[in-house]
Amino acid sequence: MTELAHEAVAEHEHPEHESTGVDSRKLGMWVFLSSEFLFFGALISNYLLYSNRAGFQGVYPSEIYDIPFTSVSSFVLLMSSLTMVLAHNALSRNDQSGTRTWLFATAALGAVFLGGQVFEFTEFIVEFDMKLTTNPAASAFYLLTGFHGTHVALGVIMLLSLWGISRRQGGISEKHGMNLELVGLYWHFVDIIWIVIFTVVYLLSVPPA
Amino acid sequence: MSSEEHIHHPSPAQYWKIAVVLAVLTAIEVGMFYVNKTYDLGFLNAALLLILAALKFVIVVGFYMHLRFEKSTLSRFFTAGFILAASLYGIVLTALGVVAIRGG
Repeated sequence: MTELAHEAVAEHEHPEHESTGVDSRKLGMWVFLSSEFLFFGALISNYLLYSNRAGFQGVYPSEIYDIPFTSVSSFVLLMSSLTMVLAHNALSRNDQSGTRTWLFATAALGAVFLGGQVFEFTEFIVEFDMKLTTNPAASAFYLLTGFHGTHVALGVIMLLSLWGISRRQGGISEKHGMNLELVGLYWHFVDIIWIVIFTVVYLLSVPPA
Repeated sequence: MSSEEHIHHPSPAQYWKIAVVLAVLTAIEVGMFYVNKTYDLGFLNAALLLILAALKFVIVVGFYMHLRFEKSTLSRFFTAGFILAASLYGIVLTALGVVAIRGG
C-alpha cells in the first residue's frame, strides 16, 4: 500500500476534526438545520399571512381542523423523538439489537404520522372540498404541512436505510454510527418544527374575520 | 460511536422521563385550546401556548439533540439561524399587521 493510501485509511479510521473541535459532518448538519429555520419560517409566515384574511371563496383550513386527531398525530411524532434518542443511546452502549428495534420503532411512528397526514388531507379534499387551489389560505396550509410531511418521509427513508444496513451487516459500525447521529439530529429537527406548526397553525388558528 | 460522544448524556430512564414531561406539556396545550374556546382568554391564551411550545422546543433540542452537552460552536450556529429567522419573519409579520391581529 502506498503512503498516500495509508494516510487515506488512517484519516478514514480517525477522522480529523476541524479547528472548531467538532466533527465537520456534524457541524455541517447543524448548519443545514439552522438554515432550515429560514425555509420553514417563510412557509409559516406565508400561512399566517393568508390563513384568516377575509374575502376568499371556499373553506378556510382553520374552520375544519380536527384538533383531537392532530393532537394524537403530534403525540406520535413527539414519541418518535424518544425512540430515536433511545436508538442512539443503544448504539452508544453497542447494543445492536436495541438500536435496530428503536430505529424501526422510530420509522414506524414516522409512518403513522404520515398516514395521519394523508388521512387529514384526504378528509379536507373529499369531505370539505378544500383543494390546493381553493384559496390562498388552503394553498399556504398544504404547502407548509406538505413540505413538513416531505421532510418526515425523507427521514423515514433514511431511518429504514440505516435499519436495513444494520440488518445486513449484523450491526452499525463506528463509521455508520455518525450517520445514525446525523439522521437523529434531522429527525429531532423535524419534530421541533412540528411543535411550532402544531401550536401556531392548529392551536392558535383564528377564523377569518 | 462517534468520538464526540460524551459520558454525561442522560440515561434511557431519563429519556423516558423527559418524554413524559413532553407528553404532559402537549396535553396542557390541547387543554388550553378547549379552555380558550369556552372562556376566550385572548392574548393570554396565545402567550401561554407559545411559552409551552418554546418549552417543548428547548427540551427536545437540549436533551434529545444533546445540544446542551455539545460544544458551544454548535449552539451558536443553531441559535444564530433561529434568531435570524425569528427576527426576519417577526419584522415582516409585524409590518403586515399579522402579529397584531393574532395578539388581539
